[in-house]
Amino acid sequence: MTEDVVPVMKIGDTLLVALQGDLDDTTVIQIEEQLTREVARTGVSGMLIDVSRLSVVDSFIARVLARIVAMVRLLGAQAAVVGIQPAVAITLVELGVPMGHLDTALNAEQGLALLERLRRADTGTDRP
Amino acid sequence: MTTPPGGSQDPPASLRDLEAMLDAVTDHAVVKLGPGGEVVRWSRSAQAMTGYTEPEMVGQSVSALHTEEDRGAGLMEQELESARQDGRREFQGWRVRKGGERFLAHISLTPVRGEHGAVSGFVKVFRDVTESARAESLFHGLLESAPDAMVIVGSDARIVLVNRQAETLFGFERAELVGREIEVLVPARFRDRHVGHRSGFLADPRLRPMGAGLELFGMRRDGTEFPVEISLSPLETAEGTLVAAAIRDVTERRETEQRLLRQRDEILELSTPVIQVWDKVLALPIIGTLDTLRATRLTEGLLEKIAQTQAEVAILDMSGVPTIDTQVAQHLLKTVQAAALMGTVSIMSGVRPETAQSMVHLGIDMGRLRSRNTLQDALQLALAVLAERAGTVAAAARALTSGESL
Repeated sequence: MTEDVVPVMKIGDTLLVALQGDLDDTTVIQIEEQLTREVARTGVSGMLIDVSRLSVVDSFIARVLARIVAMVRLLGAQAAVVGIQPAVAITLVELGVPMGHLDTALNAEQGLALLERLRRADTGTDRP
Repeated sequence: MTTPPGGSQDPPASLRDLEAMLDAVTDHAVVKLGPGGEVVRWSRSAQAMTGYTEPEMVGQSVSALHTEEDRGAGLMEQELESARQDGRREFQGWRVRKGGERFLAHISLTPVRGEHGAVSGFVKVFRDVTESARAESLFHGLLESAPDAMVIVGSDARIVLVNRQAETLFGFERAELVGREIEVLVPARFRDRHVGHRSGFLADPRLRPMGAGLELFGMRRDGTEFPVEISLSPLETAEGTLVAAAIRDVTERRETEQRLLRQRDEILELSTPVIQVWDKVLALPIIGTLDTLRATRLTEGLLEKIAQTQAEVAILDMSGVPTIDTQVAQHLLKTVQAAALMGTVSIMSGVRPETAQSMVHLGIDMGRLRSRNTLQDALQLALAVLAERAGTVAAAARALTSGESL
């Protein structure tokens, strides 16, 4: 059994994950293993990934986030990123990192609402 | 002057030779005086310089060339007496030509002694130095009247000459500076580098500003520093290459520049306001032309305000934007994308018809950014977005408390 590398909280039907510190390739693989395992085990329909405590968010982290979101969707749940800081947002845009496909919210509260909208859209026939 | 050997001398002939030689000298006048200053011989060059002919002068006192005051003061007698005692005298003095015109003469007076050592007369050689004296005084006048402090340095880096402005600027007396190395005016921390730079200048001397692109500092006598601008120019003289440095105190200009920068920042602050118009709704009235600097501030200002207020909608009001080009549109697009990354929806409002046309013509794709005609319409849309989201927030909250999925 792999040990847990990130704190994960379950609130109702949603998992709240807080990424923090510096992420390297090994940690990222462990995080991916842990999160997919948790989604499958708990059977939640949504995940919020909080990045407000990451020291650096660059194109590498952006790809990592996109991968986690894709994995979670394959497991039948919705995922959104919350807590992107102003400086980080400017850097990502200036670097031209493609983030358009990520669903984002300001904070956990608004993130929960966003997940709710994503779930509704997912059950309907139209994509948002 | 030696007489030819052999004894078959022809005194009148050798004398004529001598006279011919003396007359050939044009820039020096040579005259022979008796022991009391009366003219014995008057060369042609003396005639050319003074206007007096030989018959006019021979037998007359040479003091005819003196100004009236000098003649009255007995200057000629003093000059002769001092030459008699010192053996030879050189001096400068004002003399008067026949027409009354004054000229500055450089004079050498040599006593001629007879067989028993008694002075039998004098040889007086004089030269008109009015022009060179005028040039020199013009140079000094120019140096003194220059608006900048001037320091003139020899090729050994020692100070040759400074003007009054340099004394005032650096707080040194002229006598304290002349002869010292130029580094005495340079703050200690730059001195080593300065020595290298000045050798470099002497290797390729030409008119140029010192330390292009660098902030230069001068040091006063009391050790305080001040920002300066310096131009260097080489000065070719008989004593070798001199370097003239024109030094200007730019303290005031630096302060003005800094004040302008501060004011620009303040204006930028004022020109990119972010207003909270409703709970969770921000409005950005964009007025005037957006350059890169303003656009950057605008983006930063909006994102900081979003972080601070947790606003979910931002309205970019374009009604005050006269023209839009690709760059400005790119900036706006980046602002919208960055806000979206944080989770805030942007709405555009008040786009002018001509702006809409040029945006499409320029091929600017604002993506799915929603736009409304007026700020009022945009605010209504913002409230509708909030209401929908509030609905889902309530639903999410219900789901949480009941522990069920919807």
